[in-house]
Amino acid sequence: MSGEEKFSYIKNILIAVDESENARRAVSYVAQLVGSLEGFKVTVLHVIPQPEEDFFKTSIEKEKWCSQYREKVDAMLEGYRQILLRAGFHPHDVSVRSPFRYCPSMAACILAERDETEYGTLVVGRQGLSRSEEFIFGSISSKIVSHARNCTVWVVE
Amino acid sequence: MTESFSQNSLREMASRWLPQHRIPSRFRIHRDTTNIFRVEYDDVVVLGGKPYLIRHNAKELRFGLEDEVKFWVKRAIDLRNGNLKIMKLVFYENFMSRIGGIEFECFRSPKKEARILDLVSGHKNFMHGYSIQDEKDNLIRILDFIRGKPLFTYVENMELGHEAYFYGQFQGILDHFFECVQAIRFLHEHGEKHGDIRRDHILIDRESGHYRWIDFDFNYRHRENIYGYDLFGLGNVLVFLVGKGDWLLPDLEKQNHPVLSTLREEDVNIVFKNRVVNLKKIYPYIPESLNRVLMHFSKGANWFYENTAQLLEDLGEFRNAA
Repeated sequence: MSGEEKFSYIKNILIAVDESENARRAVSYVAQLVGSLEGFKVTVLHVIPQPEEDFFKTSIEKEKWCSQYREKVDAMLEGYRQILLRAGFHPHDVSVRSPFRYCPSMAACILAERDETEYGTLVVGRQGLSRSEEFIFGSISSKIVSHARNCTVWVVE
Repeated sequence: MTESFSQNSLREMASRWLPQHRIPSRFRIHRDTTNIFRVEYDDVVVLGGKPYLIRHNAKELRFGLEDEVKFWVKRAIDLRNGNLKIMKLVFYENFMSRIGGIEFECFRSPKKEARILDLVSGHKNFMHGYSIQDEKDNLIRILDFIRGKPLFTYVENMELGHEAYFYGQFQGILDHFFECVQAIRFLHEHGEKHGDIRRDHILIDRESGHYRWIDFDFNYRHRENIYGYDLFGLGNVLVFLVGKGDWLLPDLEKQNHPVLSTLREEDVNIVFKNRVVNLKKIYPYIPESLNRVLMHFSKGANWFYENTAQLLEDLGEFRNAA
């Protein structure tokens, strides 16, 4: 058996997105790179971070925020799905996911989703943070690169 | 509880704690504090059947600017026993904060402070108190008044040169500050941020000598690193303590300080570009193991602290060697 045949790679790609331009680039990158190839399945993932209680004066405000956010996310994911379909993906091969999670760390939440779905490749857009921003608030893509196991990570510039 | 107090009974209680000429002829009594501006000096707020006589509004230090009146924070006297309290009424605020060109969303939350007060009850390194709802469900926090100075005024007012301070006083101050960092680790371990770590938010309790964190109602919308802003605050306080004040580039320039020729871009604070962090260049006797900790908060840092445990470990290394 040759070295190349020892490994078999899963052709499932998980793209973690938000509404930023970097996320759109990540989706476009996957669309252009593998859209015309056979056998790939793509899931576009947006983890909805459970908002902190403290942010809202009342529980009604919180529920309203959650439902508006959910609508916004559904529209955003549909937009990304269309990009992939236009690039040649079969509708059966493109899915979207938007779980609601408690997320002290978004990177950890995305990686937990990856672990559950066992996708072979995880794609994220680079946020383009300054050093001081990264210092204070942390970088999702950097943390994903450091902590990802059992998958390949693409960070799209 | 709907206990009512007559004007006479309130006057009688007040006379135990105030001189006669300071007792108002008539008290306005509030059980609903929704309109915080209606709660004024000499009014009485009744909460859970306890009457609190309102005194002054609290003020917050704004470095280099006039102190800001916090009109939702009142000094008050518990008329049953004369204890001095801080009463924090409900005031929601939501705004974009900006430090060193970075914008982030901040907000005040009475719920957060109430939760933390429960969590830190009995912990020597935090302020203490309890929360209670008024008759309109406003979540009011009643805090024990801490007699003592803010840490930064204590350090700034020491009439000592830096070397005498560093060898004579700093070790003791660091021991206390180490406990403060452990206290923040305690919050983080329970999923809470302090939210507003600043050098004027540590008071030195005059009675016990303990350093105590105050003000937990501030919160920020975190991104990837939930506790990153707290850690940044801890770093700023540490640099202040090691330097016995902040060393700002304009001050060094005014003094034509010789260190200016040796300072590089990476020697300043990663966010506040005019604040020197590499203090060893100014005070060469600062041990490398301590300066290395400071440098994690500098522009030249190639690795940032992600949690308090990492900071405590590095500080512990210096303390053990000292």
